[in-house]
Amino acid sequence: MSDDTKGGVVLATLGIISVGVLTVLARRSSLRPAVQSIPTGTRAARRLNKSSALLSLSVLADSSVEHYRGMFFNKAMFLPVIASAANLASSLHGAHDETPQGHRLRHAIAAISGAIGVIGGGFHLYNVTKREGGFSWQNLFYSAPLGAPYALILAGIMGTAAEHVRDSSEGRLRLFGLPAGPTLAALTSGGLAGTVGEAALLHFRGAFHDPFMFLPVTVPPVAAGLVAKAGAERTPVWGSFTRAWLWLTAILGFAGAGFHIYGVGRNMGGWRNWSQNVLAGPPIPAPPSFTGLALAGLAALDLLEAK
Amino acid sequence: MPDIVPSQPRGRDHRAPDVLRPGAWVPMRQYPEDEEVDFAIVGTGAGGGTLAAKLAEYGFSVVAFDAGPWFRPLEEFASDELEQEKLIWTDNRIVDGANPVELGHNNSGKAVGGSTVHFMMVSLRFRPEWFKSRSQLGYAVDWPVDWREMWRYYDEVEDALKISGPVNYPWGPPRRRYPYRAHEVNAAGLVLAQGCEKLGIKWSPTPLATISAPRGLSPPCVYRGFCGFGCSTNAKQSALVVWIPRALRAGAEIRDLAMVGRIETNRYGRVTGVHYQREREWRFQKARNVVVAGYAIESPRLLLNSANAQFPDGLANSNGVVGKYFLVQSNDAVWGVMDKEIRWYKGPPSMAVTEHWNYTDDGKDFFGGYAYMSQGPLAIEWARSLASVRGLWGKALKDAMSQYIYQAGLKICGEVLPREANRVELADQKDEYGLPIAKVTFSYCENDQKLRHHAVREMRRAMEAVNAKDIWDSESTAHLGGTCRMGDDPGTSVVNADGRSWEVPNLWVCDGSLMPTVGGVNPSLTIQAMSCRIADRIKAMAARGELNAPAALRSRTAHAVGAEI
Amino acid sequence: MSDRVRFPGYSTLAKRNTSSWNEATRLVVDKRLYQPPARCFFTEDEWPILLAICDRIIPQEGSDRVPIANFVDQKMAENLGDGYQQADQPSMQEMWRRGLRAINQEAKLRFGETFADLPGGRQDDVLHMVQRGDVRAPAWKEIPPEEFFKGRLLHDVVTFYYAHPRGWDEMGFGGPASPRGYVRMGFDRYDPWDAVPAGQDR
Repeated sequence: MSDDTKGGVVLATLGIISVGVLTVLARRSSLRPAVQSIPTGTRAARRLNKSSALLSLSVLADSSVEHYRGMFFNKAMFLPVIASAANLASSLHGAHDETPQGHRLRHAIAAISGAIGVIGGGFHLYNVTKREGGFSWQNLFYSAPLGAPYALILAGIMGTAAEHVRDSSEGRLRLFGLPAGPTLAALTSGGLAGTVGEAALLHFRGAFHDPFMFLPVTVPPVAAGLVAKAGAERTPVWGSFTRAWLWLTAILGFAGAGFHIYGVGRNMGGWRNWSQNVLAGPPIPAPPSFTGLALAGLAALDLLEAK
Repeated sequence: MPDIVPSQPRGRDHRAPDVLRPGAWVPMRQYPEDEEVDFAIVGTGAGGGTLAAKLAEYGFSVVAFDAGPWFRPLEEFASDELEQEKLIWTDNRIVDGANPVELGHNNSGKAVGGSTVHFMMVSLRFRPEWFKSRSQLGYAVDWPVDWREMWRYYDEVEDALKISGPVNYPWGPPRRRYPYRAHEVNAAGLVLAQGCEKLGIKWSPTPLATISAPRGLSPPCVYRGFCGFGCSTNAKQSALVVWIPRALRAGAEIRDLAMVGRIETNRYGRVTGVHYQREREWRFQKARNVVVAGYAIESPRLLLNSANAQFPDGLANSNGVVGKYFLVQSNDAVWGVMDKEIRWYKGPPSMAVTEHWNYTDDGKDFFGGYAYMSQGPLAIEWARSLASVRGLWGKALKDAMSQYIYQAGLKICGEVLPREANRVELADQKDEYGLPIAKVTFSYCENDQKLRHHAVREMRRAMEAVNAKDIWDSESTAHLGGTCRMGDDPGTSVVNADGRSWEVPNLWVCDGSLMPTVGGVNPSLTIQAMSCRIADRIKAMAARGELNAPAALRSRTAHAVGAEI
Repeated sequence: MSDRVRFPGYSTLAKRNTSSWNEATRLVVDKRLYQPPARCFFTEDEWPILLAICDRIIPQEGSDRVPIANFVDQKMAENLGDGYQQADQPSMQEMWRRGLRAINQEAKLRFGETFADLPGGRQDDVLHMVQRGDVRAPAWKEIPPEEFFKGRLLHDVVTFYYAHPRGWDEMGFGGPASPRGYVRMGFDRYDPWDAVPAGQDR
């Protein structure tokens, strides 16, 4: 099988996986009326599992394509593909699990995935600084993207958070030993900020040539601010507004993927030249990270409003 | 077999090719030949194409002529070095002197869009001091313009072309950020970068006139590497894709496959229009002003070929300066084989540059400067280098060619000093239109040789520093300039600072022949900036009634100017 | 080393129907491959000399050889010039005619045979002599040997070999590239449609 065909098979597989995952997630979505019997902790945990699933899906697709572009020149480049796949499966399992108890295997997979994300961050930073020019705009644009392992770290954090929150008893929801609501709000806000940074960097690289490219650097920062604010207050004052903004951010994540699909088609040769254009970008799996983080934000609000 | 070399003019029947959409047309205004247009421009490249757009946008009536065809890049540009010779001026010219210049593909385009259709898109600004080389640096001559004024026009052109350049450019005074970001530097460019870092000098991704992100109907560069053979995706921001469409939208007419052979004058010593051949017929277009923009060989040739009883030595040439002070830039290169795959055929040829020796005056035993850039010759070009230049053939050639994917190279854009002995004249031989062809005489002077020697030595040091093997050097020249130079002194220049000839007030020059010096950077950005400046100057002159323009326009622009005050 | 296939399995022609080739490229390369021009400029006497020269400059083994001489002939016949000519030089057509005559004369003078009849090694010797300017035949008074050899002979002959897919494949050149260009541009990186050197894993 030629490399071209191999690449096509991989991309098609990723596409099928994505559609499958999204279908599964949507089926038991929180548009359903809340079932009162499910404890807050569990509800928030399932949201966090979904968040982790979406982030993992994004990392799986993105790291597969990008590391394929990098020819897997370092065998460690297979790790995020494997880790994100495992964490995806694990998180989907957790998203449907109503048990008010932390799952040790899921927790381990999430923790290890997060650790691999940290290691990846180190590799990527090295990759940026070792190229001629060192830590420069040019290398931030074109060497290994620093924001990509960040997404895996976040997937790991949300995955472990899911098990911790699920584990704690009602009334004393804890996360990593701290009050769950504010902690998750801080993590989500930081996650959003970092992802905004990555989008800003790459849209800056694209010279904001399309006005819609300003959306991911305007909408999610507001979400980050609102979530941080909610986390800092004893009781979230703007709860409904924050939820609405988080849903907007979630939709933006998918809209972004749609824009990126359009963007790939806009390159020379369009989709017929997919073997160049899917790799050249813009990266279709990247924007749904915002959706994943928005879900984590909603989980944080669940926890904050639970008292 | 479909015709991918247009043999019939396309700019007619009130329409012009829309080069951004396959098979499409845009409406084109046409002007009757027997009514004077404000400006007849000869040549539609970096000089003429830019000026046509700006003047049309300012409300002047403009007809621009080009001897070459109006290509549709998306459908007609093949990925083939031989086929794409169709973009080149391959009509004969004679070359002479101690260092006869290579013409043709090297520096002479023939197409609507001029040489920008095949140029390598390197878009660098002049070092400010070069505009006053004589007064500030002690060599050559001064330009009759101030660098601060040119800086504004560089801004305008870089924005018009959406130049893709680095966030921080290491040389020159503070400047606006490039409109688009620099491209990812290919391995060939990284070899230059490594060499510079080892030598302790700065380098930069090259600012290029090809886009790194979408722009309108143009997709971003696909790094196919055939830039010097025409961009088939329209990522390259040539005059064909930028200025000509603007000119058309503003009401200009472009006549392709129209060779202007002679400029006509009247008994008052003013030009009255141009004689041109189109579809085997000689025709005449009346014009209030004529602008010559055929680049530094064809422009003086046209002025000389337009000699008549009143102007026996050619137009604007009573001081004998037309055709003289011919300039090129030295293009010496150093090549080597790396121990890693480079595959320099990917991407624009010159993705990294160092201007260190343009901005450093210490350690030089010569005047002037040079930049050097990474390289990426394709199959035929490289084979010719190894064979025709290096002298390899047979098994030796095959062995050397087998190293192709490991090759890296550095090439200079080196300043050459203006000298009267270097010149463009008319030869005895005639072309297919019955017009005397150009004879180009060029020799390097001692300063030029010292610069080249220094450059080759420095590039060799760089290649040795990156452990390249089988290092060898080659020589060549690139670009043209100087033959209708601008100046403050009517005795030693052809045109003034506005591109207006001293001798004939409605005869202008607007192309690379204006440049009295060439500096150590590729000239395209400077030529376009100068064209934008000349357009502004013409607009101002028209408003003040200093121009051969219709009374209606004069009062219209005067009104506009008056309103601003 | 030139006998070994440097890039086994690589064929630019195999990419003809991929997005690496556009319609204009197919038209042009098809014509070059399947409709090579017939001899119409060089005479019957000149032809064997030119053929022999092409074989020495660009040794080709096996079948499917590039008919370099036919393309040189076409260039002369159609006067497809380079766009410039040195002041004291004859036209490129004249240069070839004089050069072929002089090479043949040199061969007879030095080795007693016409150039085409000499064994390959001797032909190379003659060509080296011409390249160095170490010539004795009187015909060289009409054409400077080094200039002819480098500026005309080598220039034209190598052009047409490396205008052909066979030349591209041999050297590992990416070949036609539109609309599809390249993605991997770093050190030691290649795209799936690039040439891979022998001994390297895909």
